[in-house]
Amino acid sequence: MSDLAMFIVRVGFLLVLWIFLFAIISIIRADLFSSRVLSRVAERNAPTVLSSPVPAITRATAEVSTAGPQATLATAITAVPTRLSVIDGPLLGKELALDRRELTIGRAPNSDLVIDDEFASSAHARLTNGGDGWVITDLNSTNGTFVDGTRIGTPLVVNPGMQIRVGKTVFELRA
Amino acid sequence: MQVARVRQLGNPRNIEFALLLLVAGLYAFELAQIQLATVLVLRTELVLYWAPPVLLAFVMHLILRLRASEADWLILPIGLFLNTLGISVIYRLDIIKPALTSSGHAPDLFAQKQVIYTAIAMAIAAAVILLVKSHLSLRKYIYVSMVAGVLLLLLPLLPVIGKTVSGARLWVGIGSFSFQPGELAKIALTIFFAGYLVSRRESLAVVGRKFAGIRIPQARELGPIVTIWLASLAVLVLQRDLGTSLLYFAIFLVLIYVATGRPFYVVVGALMFVTGALIASRLMSYVGGRVDSWLDPLNEATYNAIGGSYQLVQGLFGLAHGGLFGTGLGGGLPQLVPLAESDFIISSLGEELGLVGLFAIFALYLLLIARAVRISVQHNDDFSKLLAIGFGFVIALQFFIVVGGVLRVLPLTGLTTPLLAAGGSSLIANWIIIALLLRISDSVPRLGVVTE
Repeated sequence: MSDLAMFIVRVGFLLVLWIFLFAIISIIRADLFSSRVLSRVAERNAPTVLSSPVPAITRATAEVSTAGPQATLATAITAVPTRLSVIDGPLLGKELALDRRELTIGRAPNSDLVIDDEFASSAHARLTNGGDGWVITDLNSTNGTFVDGTRIGTPLVVNPGMQIRVGKTVFELRA
Repeated sequence: MQVARVRQLGNPRNIEFALLLLVAGLYAFELAQIQLATVLVLRTELVLYWAPPVLLAFVMHLILRLRASEADWLILPIGLFLNTLGISVIYRLDIIKPALTSSGHAPDLFAQKQVIYTAIAMAIAAAVILLVKSHLSLRKYIYVSMVAGVLLLLLPLLPVIGKTVSGARLWVGIGSFSFQPGELAKIALTIFFAGYLVSRRESLAVVGRKFAGIRIPQARELGPIVTIWLASLAVLVLQRDLGTSLLYFAIFLVLIYVATGRPFYVVVGALMFVTGALIASRLMSYVGGRVDSWLDPLNEATYNAIGGSYQLVQGLFGLAHGGLFGTGLGGGLPQLVPLAESDFIISSLGEELGLVGLFAIFALYLLLIARAVRISVQHNDDFSKLLAIGFGFVIALQFFIVVGGVLRVLPLTGLTTPLLAAGGSSLIANWIIIALLLRISDSVPRLGVVTE
């Protein structure tokens, strides 16, 4: 083979080697930023992706807004939550007593649950207890509040064991 | 349980498939380029070298699809690439050997053996993925792995089967078959260290008195580190191998640091090892010789001494000959370096692929190790975290110790370059590590997935 051809082969190999390297790096890059996309995609696909438990929650919400007594019945069956436990994220293990009527959640330092992470808004969400159980309200946050994987639009009754996610932090109410 | 599994990347196993195809292509490119550059024609034997590793990689890919579909999708392609690049270089060194050496014997050929070892290693890795359903089950066997690790380390010291090769007593041999049990010992010991430190991390992390800005734990908490130190010195003295001894001790230091978050252990451990090694270099001529070759390789006396710096200097000349872009595969003279297919495979690669190629290879190792660190960070339980980081650093430390030796950053020691260098034991051990990393990564909790 001519010298020129060997030169092209030589340079070509190094080129393919670096293409392989950059292919891997670009995959890692896409992977790194996929969590943010995940939230948006999950939101768009919400009705199709979600299975049975969620319509039940939506029904429960409807009941809260229209027929109070039934909702009270529903919450009376389950135990009354007394504390909030963080089950994932940087605050893992943190617990708050549910000893007041309202808890604020967000990045603002004066929130009851301070979530210091770039996916949380300063006033992100609010937990209120109007007597019919605890209700979570998203305060128009940028990245949303998720209950059992679904982004909530309207205030929602939270029962013990339902997992609420704000940014990277996941917490639940416990009896 | 509500699972909203949406990924921007689509099915990651498809990406793995595409990358494996790319690696298979690169491997064919390497072999063809070597044949064209050395014997000037394409020979059909190329297929015999190409097919086994590539086919087995796709078998492993299929197993991952069926049994560990969430496993990391970059580890297998990177592993296959490094392994096949190693075979290419070994083949390249074989192909230029004359049919008979000057003394009239047939030359030592390594490439065919390396292909067979690769096939065995990948088959074992596939079996590990199939048999180990969850890496958490390994936690039941931590004391078994301690005993197994120690026995494997002691095996070469046994009278009949133990073999001494170039000064180091690391091999066992039965007939013409030989094996380095220390390679498997590092897996067993990593499992033991991880399991042991999970149960002891609380007490090891206890805040002791503070002195000069460093918190010093109570004396009894130094027990484990002193034990491992003595064990690694025993390896140094009995088996006469600095690299292996350094590797075991460094893995323990990495894991104790990750488990406790206390730099104290690393500082004290490093000082202990350096002290031990300095004393050894005074008392044992082979360690002293390595240090002299490292500090002043071009000294005529050191260069001409038996076991002196000749090999190291030839490796450096090879790297210099390669320059920035290299001579191209098959275009250089890597055969001038003794052990060019094993200990000095990095200098062979540096000569033929140049600094540009070497950097790509270093980056791929870095990415492989970064994947292990990522798996560790993503796991929530301590055992998985320590196990993943431990396996990642077995590869990282080994690579650093060998390549550091060849590039004269560290004194030269006799470890194998993971996945690249010729040698069956090392290939089997590293493919088992890859299989276990894949298994650990399969159970990583996913971001954005809410589980109960």
